[in-house]
Amino acid sequence: MTWWCSAQGIPWDWTWRPYPGVWLFIGVLVAGYIAALQRWRPDPLVGDQDSLQRAHIASFSAGILVLWIAADWPVGALGAGYLVSLHTLQYLLFALVAPPLLLQGIPRWVLREILRTRWIGMLARGLSRPLLAFVVFNVAMLGTHLPAVVDGLGGSQFGSFGMDMAWLVSGIAFWWPVMGLLPEPHHLSYPARIVYLILNVFIPTVPAAFLTFADYPIYSLYELAPPVHGISATTDQQLAGLTMKVVGGLIIFGTASVLFFRWHRREDDGTTQSLVIPSLRPGS
Amino acid sequence: MKKTVALTPLAGGFLLPVILSLGILGCGRSTPGGASPYRGTILPTPWPKVDFSLTATDGERFDFRRETEGFVTLLFFGYTSCPDICPVHMANIAAVLGKLPPTITNQVKVVFVSTDPARDKPERIREWLDHFDADFIGLRGSLETVNAIQQEIGLPPAVAARSEGEEHTVGHAAQVIAYTRDDSAHVVYPFGTRQTDWAHDLPKLVVEDWEGEMP
Repeated sequence: MTWWCSAQGIPWDWTWRPYPGVWLFIGVLVAGYIAALQRWRPDPLVGDQDSLQRAHIASFSAGILVLWIAADWPVGALGAGYLVSLHTLQYLLFALVAPPLLLQGIPRWVLREILRTRWIGMLARGLSRPLLAFVVFNVAMLGTHLPAVVDGLGGSQFGSFGMDMAWLVSGIAFWWPVMGLLPEPHHLSYPARIVYLILNVFIPTVPAAFLTFADYPIYSLYELAPPVHGISATTDQQLAGLTMKVVGGLIIFGTASVLFFRWHRREDDGTTQSLVIPSLRPGS
Repeated sequence: MKKTVALTPLAGGFLLPVILSLGILGCGRSTPGGASPYRGTILPTPWPKVDFSLTATDGERFDFRRETEGFVTLLFFGYTSCPDICPVHMANIAAVLGKLPPTITNQVKVVFVSTDPARDKPERIREWLDHFDADFIGLRGSLETVNAIQQEIGLPPAVAARSEGEEHTVGHAAQVIAYTRDDSAHVVYPFGTRQTDWAHDLPKLVVEDWEGEMP
């Protein structure tokens, strides 16, 4: 029984295959989200809570959809055992696309309740320290791209599941300081968030460069996999390197740009207020 | 007095990923066992070059022994509908030959013998080989003849694994036999041979004279 996508060593065809572990994983996340919304519905008399908005649900749903695409057939199956370019796409979806969508989709009152759970709170306080989040994210990214790890774990369903979860968890840790959803436990200013993001552009360059410029395939798992539509191992690997660098870079720089404009707008608002408000004071 | 050097958390935080990233540098393979200079499987007793003649994709007879004399010759038995082993072997050899200098590649011939002559017409073999390298030589003969050649070498005969109309697969030997200039095969390359292995071994196979003891 194949419950999670992993390298099977059988020739690729476009016959759909079920991966019940993926459905269970997605189902647990959705059920957990709905249960959390029901359980911790805020008191309508308390005015400082942000209400559940369509944007929350849309964002969480988009995050779930991204996870599903990344983990299930065909992207999950092709990425796990056939094409390293799709393995890289999976990484980007798990670590850079899904986490911010999921985090953005959780209302603050739910986040606060989740963090009240003792062990989650402790974990979040630790992982959300920007330096630790930076280390966890980059160690997970580099570690899961080492040839010994990819070749060693990619052939087993548990190994493949472990890599996918490492990307997702490290991605959540990475995005938490950037999103700034809660002032606690560690809040970063806009300029600090931008610097934090930009620093994360450089380290992925190492695996991306190796993938793009290596003379020969790095991973035996993909080099010796049954070919898919005649795509050569070298072309596939170069595509993987470019995907990691270009698409990953666009996500990071795109987010940094959004943060910059938000910061700029807030500075503008602050300046406007400081110019206008004193003139409204009686007698001034 | 000893001076203690401590990494600040900040420096350590940045250094750890950098150190780990250096691990990607160590992706090459060392020689298995360390005893043989080759990454292929060394034959305990060299196989003499087989003498046969089959039809090439251009319709001409190809006398294997005569046409490959003085060259390092990689001989492989497979079929063009093969979904895994054959295209991976061919693609890996072609990729490496595309990167090695002409002083090496000019002394290497790759010969593919079809084990599925019913489906592998000359045009199909040529088109399939051209996808990897137009210089690869494709040969075709009756299955009985091809199996007799394999038997003479010491390989198992090719057999149709299952019949589902056109889509049957053919069981066949998975190794590439490397004949060297002494008209013998000293090394064979099983499935799983990587491009780095070919890049390591082909230049050695070209210059090796195989006289005296094995290195």
